[in-house]
Amino acid sequence: MSDHAYVPEIATTRDGVEHEVQGWQGDFYGGKLGFWLFMLTEVLMFGAMFMVLTYYFTLHHQDYIDASASLNRVLGGFNTVVLLISALTMGLGLLKFRSGDVKGAKLMIWATIFFASLFLGVKAIEWSLEFHHGVFLGLDALQSGNAHSKPFGQILFFGMYFTMTGLHGFHIIIGIGLMLWLLKRINANKVTTDHHILYWNIALYWDLVHLIWVFVFPYFYMIGADAGGYNLPDIGSLFGGHNNEH
Amino acid sequence: MSTNAKVDYQAEKGGYYKVLIGLLILTTITFIQPSMFLTDATFVVQLLIGLIKAIIILFYYMHLKGETLIGWTVSFAVFIVIFFFSIVIYDVNNFQYVDESHISSATTSAGSPTAGHHSASSESSHTTSEHTSGASHEATHSEH
Repeated sequence: MSDHAYVPEIATTRDGVEHEVQGWQGDFYGGKLGFWLFMLTEVLMFGAMFMVLTYYFTLHHQDYIDASASLNRVLGGFNTVVLLISALTMGLGLLKFRSGDVKGAKLMIWATIFFASLFLGVKAIEWSLEFHHGVFLGLDALQSGNAHSKPFGQILFFGMYFTMTGLHGFHIIIGIGLMLWLLKRINANKVTTDHHILYWNIALYWDLVHLIWVFVFPYFYMIGADAGGYNLPDIGSLFGGHNNEH
Repeated sequence: MSTNAKVDYQAEKGGYYKVLIGLLILTTITFIQPSMFLTDATFVVQLLIGLIKAIIILFYYMHLKGETLIGWTVSFAVFIVIFFFSIVIYDVNNFQYVDESHISSATTSAGSPTAGHHSASSESSHTTSEHTSGASHEATHSEH
């Protein structure tokens, strides 16, 4: 038996009947409920950001449509599918773990880490392309009052775009860290098929990250889709190629 | 709902794949909708598709189906978000401070089609642009 194995405490009644004392380690439902409460604070945080987004969208309707039309829907859509598949691998991994297939579960966690990293890589390419097109936080196009300034509503749009996709990307990085930690805990036999609340909650966290993207994607990429064509990624501009006007 | 029990992987994995197929179909609809149907209501349609995807994820991937207490807790949080959303939407539809607000004014945008409007705008609007940035302040004066 491992040094870290869960050892239940036994209480004996006056009749001599033994009962397992339910410590926090065994309170599966409590652990789950607590994590849901944490996730609701995340919903409120992103909810407030969506509220700001809606506020600006209402005030600067056409600017938002125009800015959205200039985003790269191919890369954004690719990332949507990547996150969708990562949610599947995470769910199947948990299912494998609960059915006793620890090795298969660990493979699924690695697969999820791969898809999460792929998402970040594509996002990095997308941001780099936008930087090369002169659209990035701190550049002239998003600073008001100069010759290269975009319309005011577009400045607000891109400010929210970089803030929200950046915060979402930060959640992805945290998720990768949590999955690596989970693998370490499984290898140390601290998360077992009988006590897998940590795995369950990290899977919930990953689904929440997916859930947020389900709204981030249409709100930024699709509201202006009928105003412009499907922009193909101009990867060549990253390597000194021709810079198209974004 | 007992969730800390052993499960049969082969018996349950089918549900995950069905959800994946459903979500992929909805994602495809998300892509084709702006050029195929209801093009005048893209924003609403897109958010509705997102809502359906969110419900599917919540119910099946996040195991909310059958969870009474957590289900009500989530509903309450979503209600709070929608409640404040409604207030904000009402407020912004009756916005009274266009000339004074930082977020509505086009005064700081040299590239804006409405930038010229600022030249003839009120004194309060001019003051706003001064608060916004030094660069915009100079640009504004050069317009004058």
